[in-house]
Amino acid sequence: MKKETTYQELLEARGVNRRDFLKFCSLMSVYLGFSSAFVPRIVRAMDTKPRIPVIWLHGLECTCCSESFIRSSHPIAADIVLNMISLDYDDTLSAAAGHQLEAIRKQIMKDYKGEYILAVEGNAPTKDDGVYCMVNGDSFTNMLKETAADAMAVIAWGSCASFGCVQNAKPNPTGATPIHKIIKDKPIVNVPGCPPIAEVMSGVITHLLTFGKLPELDRLKRPKAFYGTRIHDKCYRRPYFDAGMFVENFDDEGAKKGWCLYKMGCKGPTTFNSCSTVKWNEGTSYPIQAGYPCLGCSEPGFWDNGPFYTRLADVAFLGTNTNADKIGMVAVGAAAAGMAAHAVGTAIQKNNLKDETAKKEEG
Amino acid sequence: MGQLYEEQYVWRMPVRVYHWINALCVTILFITGLYIAAPVLSPSVGEAVWYHKMAWFRYIHFATAFVFIANFLFRLYWALFGEDKYGRFAGFKPWSPIWWGQPFKDQLRAYFFLKKEEPNYCGHNPVAALTHFLFIFCGSWFMVLTGLAMYGENNPGGFTDSLFGWVVLIFGSSQSMHTMHHLVAWVFPVYLILHIYAVVRHDIVDRSSVTSSIVTGYKHKVEECPEYAD
Repeated sequence: MKKETTYQELLEARGVNRRDFLKFCSLMSVYLGFSSAFVPRIVRAMDTKPRIPVIWLHGLECTCCSESFIRSSHPIAADIVLNMISLDYDDTLSAAAGHQLEAIRKQIMKDYKGEYILAVEGNAPTKDDGVYCMVNGDSFTNMLKETAADAMAVIAWGSCASFGCVQNAKPNPTGATPIHKIIKDKPIVNVPGCPPIAEVMSGVITHLLTFGKLPELDRLKRPKAFYGTRIHDKCYRRPYFDAGMFVENFDDEGAKKGWCLYKMGCKGPTTFNSCSTVKWNEGTSYPIQAGYPCLGCSEPGFWDNGPFYTRLADVAFLGTNTNADKIGMVAVGAAAAGMAAHAVGTAIQKNNLKDETAKKEEG
Repeated sequence: MGQLYEEQYVWRMPVRVYHWINALCVTILFITGLYIAAPVLSPSVGEAVWYHKMAWFRYIHFATAFVFIANFLFRLYWALFGEDKYGRFAGFKPWSPIWWGQPFKDQLRAYFFLKKEEPNYCGHNPVAALTHFLFIFCGSWFMVLTGLAMYGENNPGGFTDSLFGWVVLIFGSSQSMHTMHHLVAWVFPVYLILHIYAVVRHDIVDRSSVTSSIVTGYKHKVEECPEYAD
């Protein structure tokens, strides 16, 4: 099973010419935020380094990450990635199936001990011994732990693997747990998004290949190169935000003119991702450009910060689903009513005291 | 009930200045904050680049926030090192069971009409001290920390973010932090109602001119002035 083919050999065999190959390397360098001086390093790495073996696991998820990944805008990116995966292990994309496929996984773990990358799409249900996601007769949680034990690093693809996404939204019936809370002793990179942008995914792989380590990460273990700015700060509709020109309804004049979607619940101001720069589908568009508010899909707990189309999130409070302003106004009302009642009490007490004093004086 | 004897200088200049700057800042912050969450003014007519309506509300919110923080830090300094009998923290010891003892209970019972004779304090009574601790001390820290964490988000890895960005981890996500910042902001109008009511009521019941004392600094000395600072 051991393979020593480099990416370049692989691409040559598939008829990709040198010019396209160099274009791909430059593109990746730009996405990763490197200067042009780094392009030769990427080229050299692609030329000479053997391909990193990747085991791609699927837990509780919808496969939207894979769908995004195989549609990387640059054809070579898709090629690299697809070949790498189909040759190793991916229970969705592999040609093999069943015991044969599991044997391949075991073989890679043995042959490339401490050298392979574990890519995880989806997360693990931990409640009831993990029965809510079973693979090959065992729980996905066990499979994940077993495969991670000998991995070089772990890539958590998508919001499911990174933060939990929809399956760990309240009340999280299956105990769905993001990867970094299960695997504690390996370097982990979170690549959140529902799904993550294809170019971001190939960018992370390219970085790993070129430098042999994970890219620089932020507090939430996301690569800074792609999650370093808010969508809001690079949004082309930002001037409308600052000017206070907002869409109030999906069918109003502002919506037609492409004003800011802030009041339609756009989560761009609280979402760190590259949508407003790299965009989607070969740089065609992204939600806000299509007139749709950002849902904040790459942020932790975005399902619990709904509803999607209001700015103010709902807050679960004393068994009700309310929001900060309603709670605040009730509190203010209660304080006012309480003080009014107390004022009446004070008046009565004062009156009583007066009576008592008068009686004493009489007596 | 106390009887008028003589004037007593209670609130020194730094405390009074802090009080009014704080009151002004909180008012501006609350109004601009609500506007930022729900920009209700109708859109301007013309090109977006001509206007900065939303940008101004945010700018005023941030600028006022820094005044608020500086003022708050100054008050903390004064409370710890000001050697001000009525303005310091020294008497406030909620971790000690003694603090929750008779004076606190008496004051609370008086507020609930369970005790006819109200104790009278030159500075803050124990219930007032606790209220200030919860609403003003804790409330301000919460708003300052979450506020600065949000302020740093436009430049992750920058100065503000490096110092305060960790706060977001407590809330899980930036959006949850925004929600909590918004929710806790309501602590201030609630406090305002309690505060104004308590002051006016004490003035009527005790006749110690507590209302004007935050302008003049002087209260009127009352018959019995328990030695219970803060």
